[in-house]
Amino acid sequence: MRRTIRRLLSSLRPGHAERELAREIRSHLQLLEDQYVANGMDVEEARHAAQRAFGGVEQTKERQRDARMFRWLAGWPMDLKLGGRMLVKYPGLTVVGGLAMAFAICIGIVIVQVVSLFTSPTLPLSQGTRLVELRSMDAAENVQERKILHDVLEWRQSLRSLTDLGAWRDSSRNLVIADGEARPVSVAEMSASGFRLADGEPLMGRVLVEADERAAAPAVAVIGYHVWRTRFVSDPQVLGRTVQLGHEYATVVGVMREGFEFPVAHDVWLPLKTSLLDQAPRSGPAISVFALLAPGVTIQTAQAELTAAGRRIASQSPLTHQHLEPLVRPYAMMVVPDGPGDLAIMYSIYFFIVVLLALISGNVGLLLFARAASREADLVVRTALGASRGRLVAQMFAEALVLGSAAAIAGLLAADLALRTWGVVFLETNLGRLPFWFDLGLSPRAIGAAVLLTVAGTAIAGIMPALKITHGMGHRLRQNSAGSGGLQFGGVWTVVIVAQVAATVIFPALVYWEQTQLRRVQDFDAGFEAEHYLAVQIERDAPAGDDPTADAATLERDARLSATLEDLRRRLVAQPGVLGVTFAERLPTTTHAQKIIEMGYDMDRGGPVSAAGSTSEAPLRVATIAGVEPSYFDVLDAPVLAGRGFTAADALPNARVAVVDQSFVDQVLQGRNAVGQQVRFRFAGRAPANPGDAAAPGDWYEVIGVVPDLGVGAPTQRGRAAGLYFPDTPSRFDQIHMMVHVRGGDPMTLAPQVRDLATAVDPSLRLIDMRRVNEANDDIVWVLGLWLRITVVLSSLALVLSLAGIYAVLSFTVARRTREIGVRVALGASRQRVILAVFRRPLLQVASGIVVGTAIVFTGAWMIRYTEFPGSERDLTVQGMATIIAYGIVMLGVCTLGCLVPTRRALNIEPTVALRAE
Amino acid sequence: MSSGDDHVELLQGTLDLIILRALSTMGPLHSYALATRLAQVSDSPLSLNQGTLYPALIRMEQKGWLKGAWGRTEANREAKFYSLTRAGERALTQQTERWRRLAGLVDKLLLEN
Repeated sequence: MRRTIRRLLSSLRPGHAERELAREIRSHLQLLEDQYVANGMDVEEARHAAQRAFGGVEQTKERQRDARMFRWLAGWPMDLKLGGRMLVKYPGLTVVGGLAMAFAICIGIVIVQVVSLFTSPTLPLSQGTRLVELRSMDAAENVQERKILHDVLEWRQSLRSLTDLGAWRDSSRNLVIADGEARPVSVAEMSASGFRLADGEPLMGRVLVEADERAAAPAVAVIGYHVWRTRFVSDPQVLGRTVQLGHEYATVVGVMREGFEFPVAHDVWLPLKTSLLDQAPRSGPAISVFALLAPGVTIQTAQAELTAAGRRIASQSPLTHQHLEPLVRPYAMMVVPDGPGDLAIMYSIYFFIVVLLALISGNVGLLLFARAASREADLVVRTALGASRGRLVAQMFAEALVLGSAAAIAGLLAADLALRTWGVVFLETNLGRLPFWFDLGLSPRAIGAAVLLTVAGTAIAGIMPALKITHGMGHRLRQNSAGSGGLQFGGVWTVVIVAQVAATVIFPALVYWEQTQLRRVQDFDAGFEAEHYLAVQIERDAPAGDDPTADAATLERDARLSATLEDLRRRLVAQPGVLGVTFAERLPTTTHAQKIIEMGYDMDRGGPVSAAGSTSEAPLRVATIAGVEPSYFDVLDAPVLAGRGFTAADALPNARVAVVDQSFVDQVLQGRNAVGQQVRFRFAGRAPANPGDAAAPGDWYEVIGVVPDLGVGAPTQRGRAAGLYFPDTPSRFDQIHMMVHVRGGDPMTLAPQVRDLATAVDPSLRLIDMRRVNEANDDIVWVLGLWLRITVVLSSLALVLSLAGIYAVLSFTVARRTREIGVRVALGASRQRVILAVFRRPLLQVASGIVVGTAIVFTGAWMIRYTEFPGSERDLTVQGMATIIAYGIVMLGVCTLGCLVPTRRALNIEPTVALRAE
Repeated sequence: MSSGDDHVELLQGTLDLIILRALSTMGPLHSYALATRLAQVSDSPLSLNQGTLYPALIRMEQKGWLKGAWGRTEANREAKFYSLTRAGERALTQQTERWRRLAGLVDKLLLEN
């Protein structure tokens, strides 16, 4: 260790040791000389004899240096300085190569940062490493059992390895303030211990305490900082105020500090009054459980104790708990989906980073090679002066490292910006509100990844060309050919050029494909004037996770909700400018469910399907299902093309009628008359796990009418979906979307009235995502747009790198063959022949790249069509193919343009100049 | 310089032991004196040149076994004198022990044959 440090120091500051060595050798020679003089030689003779006896002074110094320092490190300060000068001297390469590497590093950091949020999240809490989540898995069904209040109470009594065990129950409720509007907030009914273990300090008042959990305790609430700032306008007198949360009232007793959102992303906290809840085994509300590992206890020890407790409960309640297995997991892992499939996706993402970096660095390496080739003479002189191959490679690596480091800094800054601006929006679009521990600032892990990517990228970009250019340098030196153009672009560079030209073709094809997707979403026709409709999702006020079983209470709640919605509709219709109000399970142009159906009429053989319909050979077809309220078609002003639309009576449970759209008639019925046809679901409930299993089909429904296509399907789906409408009352929808038809103008101007009326009708009605119907797919459009932008940048980068690479190769070729070209021109060779002779190889490489890229694009398009849309129309249209081929031709043209300057330079060479070139 | 059968190749690691031993016996020596001493004690010429001696000296100095200090010879010439440090003395004991074990083992094997 001591020696390593000294060697390191000596490598970085060799001056003193060098002077010391020279002095010592001088002294050694002097002593030898004295000895020879003492033996009778004259001074001059003795000096020569001493030098002969000592041997090679320089060799001795070299060997001592080898032992004294790390030679590969010795010239680094100088190499780095030289690398910096190179950046300035070749600004084109610096900008192109630097930007390309910065982009690869930026993408790498962003991906590592986002993936690490899921794979190794950390909690910003003082006891974060000890905080765990307890869950119970049903091993038979492989699903999580959330009704575990009974178990929690048992665990709290018995477990010693876990402390502060508590639970919470999620509910989204409307927060209604006197004279204020009702807005949904995320409420946690939580055990008081949650505040203790999550560093919960109130800004004002107090947090919840165990006494608040008693059944008879007054209803109290603690509100979050953000809610206090926005909904209570930072009211300093907020403590003691009564607020309405859904149907309940509570007194505000505390305001939390900024940033406190424990347990996940919550705004308001109510005490979890367990004594009022159903505590029977595997019954009661759906809850989540947190606890703290006791000091010194590992998660494995806690798991062992919990497993034992689980067995004990299972022996007491075998009927409910036979298959339940309790688990302890690090708290922050609760949002991580588990399963080997996710790991595979993660590794494939990492593989993508490595491939991207390797491709880009390989291309930058090509540019650096061309730059180094132009400095071959300099390298030859260094070799002649004794520099080893390793030394030269180290020098070129250092030069690439300067470029890589500049790129890394740019990449880090860009990644930070991208994560803070787009990253949050991207994740929230996909996951909803983010947990409090999701920090998208650059983590040490991401910075480590940046360092790793920089070194790896630099190694590819710097070492590969260095090895290539120094290969056989000694031999060339002896042959007297070094520096005179003996260097050649070999097989490796051919591969690099072909790969980058292929990438230049592939990326635009990707852009084309993504743009097609984006346009498909944007152009998805709703079939009515969607921009004049206001859409809002309405949530009923029931704690999440409760079973909507058809018991009396549920039926009563449904009836109440129906009455409420009807009341809301009535009040809205009375508003000036409102033409109609209707409800649907899904908004038009958003994703609808698909189901396998059977028709009562056998299309192929004619006549009705046999009575045993499910066992006959009746062809199975897929229809897209839309649950709508009877007034739907009227409010959408959709003409009924055949038969009739729905009436209120059709929504009664035994009515069994359906309406189909024009696509259904065209695709399923092949143009036949739809009215009077029978249709049913192939599987009444869930589809059986195995195709051979028997499953009962559903009841027959009669088709009573045909309407035009009204945006049923999925926005990213190709072609038209066969729409099948069923009438129902909104209270039975799994999602309730209300659509308000507003006469002319912007329907959003009605938004405040809709909110006010909803609050007036029922303060617990939560209105979510209020927007125009034609903006229903804005989220998907945003995400697709982001991907498109990233691909466009990648695409442009591939093009610029390609052009720079081709230009560098051609310049190099011309420089190398200056003499030959001069002689050819002098001997009267035609310009065409010279051009062909010089540029045959680069042009062949470009052409191969275009062929390879086009082949990959066509194969990819074929595979996408084959795997994703079997039997559908051709994904790659003639127009698409023509576009890609035309692009290939344009690419060839652009690459030829890249050849222009070197070609002109080659042809303008004066024979006399060329012959003097060496 | 010698050649043929008189040539003794230095075993890896033995040069350190020889230098340590020479310094232990003779006290502080400069590199010329060390080279001369090594030539004197060897019955047959030792395959040692300055290109081997200087790397060994710096290596041992960096390990902390030797300490070099500039001084004056009897003829009033300046020279760098190397002396053993405490760590060097310990290293000498260890290296000697190691060498004896190794030599004993080799002797034993040769006698058996």
